[in-house]
Amino acid sequence: MDERPISPVLKAAAGLMFLFLLAPLIIVIPISLSGDTYMAFPPSSWSLRWYGAIFSDTRMTAAFSVSLILALVVTALSLLIGLPAAYALVRLRPLGAEVLGSLFTAPLLLPTIVLGLAILLVFAPLGLLGTFQGLVAAHLIVTLPYAIRVLSTALATLPIPVEEAAATLGAPPLTVFFRVTLPMMRSGMVSTAALCFLVSFDEVVLSLFMTGPRLSTLPVAMYRHVEQQADPLVAAISVLLVVLTLAVVIVVDRTAGLAKTFVR
Amino acid sequence: MNTLALPAREARGMSPAAVAMWLLLPIALVNAVGFLWPVVNLLRMSLNESEATGALIDTVSLATWRNVLTDSFTLELIGNSIGVSLFITLLTLVASYPIAIYLHRSSGLWRTVLLVLVIAPLLTSAVVRTYGWIAILSNQGLVANLLAAFGLAPPRLMFNLTGVVIGLTEILMPYMILALLSGFGRLDPRYEEAALTLGATPLKTFWRVVLPLTAPGMALGCLLCFVLAISSFVTPKLLGGGRVFLLATEIYDQAIVTLNWPVAATLSMIVLVLFGAALALYTRALRRIA
Amino acid sequence: MMSIRPDEIQGLKQAEGFLSLRGLTRRYGNFNAVDDLNLDVAKGELVAFLGPSGCGKTTSLRMIAGLAPSTSGHIVVDGHDITGVPPYRRDMGLVFQSYALFPHMDVARNIAFGLEMRKVGKAEAQERVREAIALVRLSGKEQHRPAQLSGGQQQRVALARALVVRPSILLLDEPLSNLDAKLREEMRNEIRDIQKRLGITAIFVTHDQMEALTICDKVAVMNHGRLEQLGTPLDIYEHPSTAFVAGFVGRINRLAGTASGGLAEVAGVQVAAPGFDGRVEVMVRPHRVSLSAYAPPAGDDRYALAGTVARATFAGDILEYEVEAGGVLMKSEAATRGGEGVLAPGTPVILSWHRRDTFVYAAS
Repeated sequence: MDERPISPVLKAAAGLMFLFLLAPLIIVIPISLSGDTYMAFPPSSWSLRWYGAIFSDTRMTAAFSVSLILALVVTALSLLIGLPAAYALVRLRPLGAEVLGSLFTAPLLLPTIVLGLAILLVFAPLGLLGTFQGLVAAHLIVTLPYAIRVLSTALATLPIPVEEAAATLGAPPLTVFFRVTLPMMRSGMVSTAALCFLVSFDEVVLSLFMTGPRLSTLPVAMYRHVEQQADPLVAAISVLLVVLTLAVVIVVDRTAGLAKTFVR
Repeated sequence: MNTLALPAREARGMSPAAVAMWLLLPIALVNAVGFLWPVVNLLRMSLNESEATGALIDTVSLATWRNVLTDSFTLELIGNSIGVSLFITLLTLVASYPIAIYLHRSSGLWRTVLLVLVIAPLLTSAVVRTYGWIAILSNQGLVANLLAAFGLAPPRLMFNLTGVVIGLTEILMPYMILALLSGFGRLDPRYEEAALTLGATPLKTFWRVVLPLTAPGMALGCLLCFVLAISSFVTPKLLGGGRVFLLATEIYDQAIVTLNWPVAATLSMIVLVLFGAALALYTRALRRIA
Repeated sequence: MMSIRPDEIQGLKQAEGFLSLRGLTRRYGNFNAVDDLNLDVAKGELVAFLGPSGCGKTTSLRMIAGLAPSTSGHIVVDGHDITGVPPYRRDMGLVFQSYALFPHMDVARNIAFGLEMRKVGKAEAQERVREAIALVRLSGKEQHRPAQLSGGQQQRVALARALVVRPSILLLDEPLSNLDAKLREEMRNEIRDIQKRLGITAIFVTHDQMEALTICDKVAVMNHGRLEQLGTPLDIYEHPSTAFVAGFVGRINRLAGTASGGLAEVAGVQVAAPGFDGRVEVMVRPHRVSLSAYAPPAGDDRYALAGTVARATFAGDILEYEVEAGGVLMKSEAATRGGEGVLAPGTPVILSWHRRDTFVYAAS
């Protein structure tokens, strides 16, 4: 890189905008440590009571379990469905592969509010509303496009001669896939899993359409909570979520490279 | 000749096309059931009508479309949504540009750290970030208490359009920054150096060299943010407190509260039409830039 | 794998070599990447496939390895027709241009991969991997990942990985093109030594005539998917059978002329051209053209041509003159010797060259 100094004006502007960008994330930290019963900044007293309150709020803990299991199931299914599809599209290139690729990533282009309504109208008569299966199906529709994209890129950038080398050394096609292709895709798989997990775990709009009174995900439970009262409980949960997200991001950066995963 | 000690099984007779079909079957099923069918069904639903009692009338007519497009409330809603989304897009661009340029010029570990700081909000639920804005903007929040400390009367920043605009701008910034960064590939610092050695002032260099080169990234970011702004729901709902009416919030209310599915479907279709228009505009702008 | 006697291949010439290609063709639409290739390689021979990029040499190699399908023709190895056999049952050792080492395995596991596929016992496999590593002088690097090795070392691993399975044929696809000049020369001799020591039949694809001439027993020059000439390096260089071969292998002067009655007239000189009629191309290599102040003695079997120096290029070890003679520019070069000056442009000189160094081809 070039060593030209960055002008102080740009530095100041960027710093200010970074502050703006991160302000809502930073502010939840002190609020989560509030000792007040209502939300105010700065808090009049400090305590850890709201972190304790999370675990005694059965609505939140139940929603957290649902979200966690849901995200894990959706991630596993996304890899299981996405990997064969990406392999077919990139390597076998059947007739109309381009069109199919666009079709499979098209749900990403649809605003989630529209997609949510569309799914609601179809799933309601099928009795899938308020069910775990319904949530899984709805989330898969938005995670699969990410899976297809990242896995296709990972597959397309693999050096084919390495697989050919395995074939000339006596490895039949399936052995080549499991012993050579799959291990070389490790970072692509990690990126995909992380992305699908976070997309599912953070998904609100689709879930709002799909959840019922008995089944709620964590973002939906938080949304409903904030809608009624904004107390420091949500701040405490938010801090835990930010920590979880950062952990996932760091894992991705270590194994796959952050820039490669998110900047295209 | 050495013979390979491998089972002498003949290669299976399945053609690559047949294998591809089997591999694509699961995703095709998910796509058909979860995307294609729902979207077609949505269009179909917009051609139904609903009675005054709310009961669904199964028919094929443009009555709902006509009602929506002649109702002054929905027309204002559409106009407001477009206007607010455009304004938010512009604000997002202005706020994101310095960060993107700074990121583009930094390198090494520092760049990675900054990139994490950009991406982390993107990966954090909109509910969390909107909640953060409530903590800043509410009448017990950071800004109000800060102003009160100086003896100033705090303006109303929440449960109105101001709050929605501030919150959405921040929420869309990471998308804009990443779009700008992806478009900065063409921005070689040597171009700027060339302009500077040719006698252009830094401001002129920015205006004549940097800005044109980054235009494609800006166009992409603007398209993305406009589209996300007009369909965003959580932030307008929570920061608007039910007093800000936009297309997305209205779709949700019609679908879940009023249970008027034909109207909800028709409004959704209008959102899609606006998407198409934005995309067409983007394509034209891109052609003019390039 | 079907075993057939060579004479059973109907309508084809008998398979004579250890490896025989018979009418091997690869067509993409209307384009023939490889066109009716017939070739025999004897056991233990090192044969180069030489040609410019796109001449079909790599496609031919990939067809032999089973990585590319052939449109028609046969590949016969040791009497077995392997044309339809998938690559993983062909028993070829292929060294890729990019080495294609498994990035997620260390050196030892890379080399052991083929043995593992052949279900070789653990003890034997270990011993053979150790031998192979010693053969390519990489002892001590067993636990290194490919990314930790230099280009030359990666090249050695690729070679060891291909050789450890004792393949019937070793295929090398431009193996040296990613190495720097000095290492390239070292590696090419090393490949030659190992190939001779093991007595393995090998095919070496290259676009570098130097590599082909210096280490191979035979060179197959290819162009536009066709075999132009197969012969020893000496044959190829001294008796190029086509204008393409003459022009591709080594530097050459090309002179246009017209032939009739067994003689061709170029730049005012009569050159023997038995059997030619009409427009011809006459070629002679620059370093076989000598330059002097006097005409050569008559009856010396040399052609001579008077001209003037147009340009002199001094390159240290070689001095090259471009001489204008008879309306054409002709190059003459010679190794420099001490105490010699450089002739100034405009100096009159006599060019001469031997009959046997003169190649005549019908103009295309």
